[in-house]
Amino acid sequence: MSAHFLNVIWVALMVATALTWFIGKTGQMGATAVIAILLIAALKGWMIIYDFMALRRVKFLWRGIVLGWLLLTLAIILLAYWLGLK
Amino acid sequence: MTSHTANFPHATGHKLHQYPPGDLAIWVFILAELFAFFVLFVVYAFTRLKHLALFNEMQRTLDSDAGMLNTLLLITGSWCVARAVAAIKANHAVTSARWLLAAIGTGCGFLTVKYFEYGAKFALGINLDTNLFYTFYIALTMFHAMHVVLGMTILGLVWKKAVRGGYSAQDHHGMETGASYWHMVDLVWIILFPLVYIMR
Repeated sequence: MSAHFLNVIWVALMVATALTWFIGKTGQMGATAVIAILLIAALKGWMIIYDFMALRRVKFLWRGIVLGWLLLTLAIILLAYWLGLK
Repeated sequence: MTSHTANFPHATGHKLHQYPPGDLAIWVFILAELFAFFVLFVVYAFTRLKHLALFNEMQRTLDSDAGMLNTLLLITGSWCVARAVAAIKANHAVTSARWLLAAIGTGCGFLTVKYFEYGAKFALGINLDTNLFYTFYIALTMFHAMHVVLGMTILGLVWKKAVRGGYSAQDHHGMETGASYWHMVDLVWIILFPLVYIMR
C-alpha cells in the first residue's frame, strides 16, 4: 500500500467522521439520517478493513469474515432503529 | 523468494494472499473480540428499542464533540500504524518506529479525552447505576478503552523492538501482528461512535 494512498484514505475517514458528527449536530434524526449515518459507518469500516488492515489482497474467506461482521452488525442496528422509528 | 516470504505469502507480489497480515493467533483473538462487540452492540440496539424515550433523552447529555475528537484520534492512530508498516516494508526502520510512536501518542490522546469526558459525568454524580443508558454508555466505552490500553501496550512492545532495529523489509511479521490488533480497536469504534453518541 503506497504512502500516498494511505494518506488519501486517512483524509476520507476524517471527512466521513466530521459528516457523521455534523448530522448529529443538526438534531434532525429520522430514517434518512439513520441510513446515512450507517452507510457512512459501512464505508469507513470498509476502508479500514481493506486498506489499513490490508485485507484487500487476502483470500476472500478472511476478508469476508471481517466484512460480514461489519455489515451484519450495521444491518441489525438498522433493523432495531427502523423498528424504533415505526 | 526467501524462506520468510514462503511462510508468509502476504509479503509477496499481487496475488491474493492465503492469510491476513500478522500472526494467525492474533486473528483468532481479533475475531473473538469482534464477536464480543457484536453481541454488545446488538444488545444495546434492542435494549434501546424498549426504552426509546430514555435513550434518546440521555444521549443528548453526551459530549458528541469528545466522541468525534476520539474518532479522529483513533483513525489517525490507525493511519500512523499503516504508515509504520508501509515504512518498514520499504526498509525505513527509523521512520517506521516514529510512526509507531505517533500512533501510541494518539492512543494517549484518546485516553486523555476519555478521562475528561468521564470526569465531567462523574462530577455530576453519574455512574453505572444512574439509568440503563448510562450503564451501557459506561460499560461499552470502558470495555473499548481497555482495548485501547491493550493495543497501546502491544504497540509499545512493537515500538521497543523497532527502535532496536528488530524489523526489516524481510521480517516485519511481529509489527503486522500488533498493527492488525490496533486496526480492530479502531474498527470497533467506527460503529460505537455513531451508535452511542449520534443516532437517535
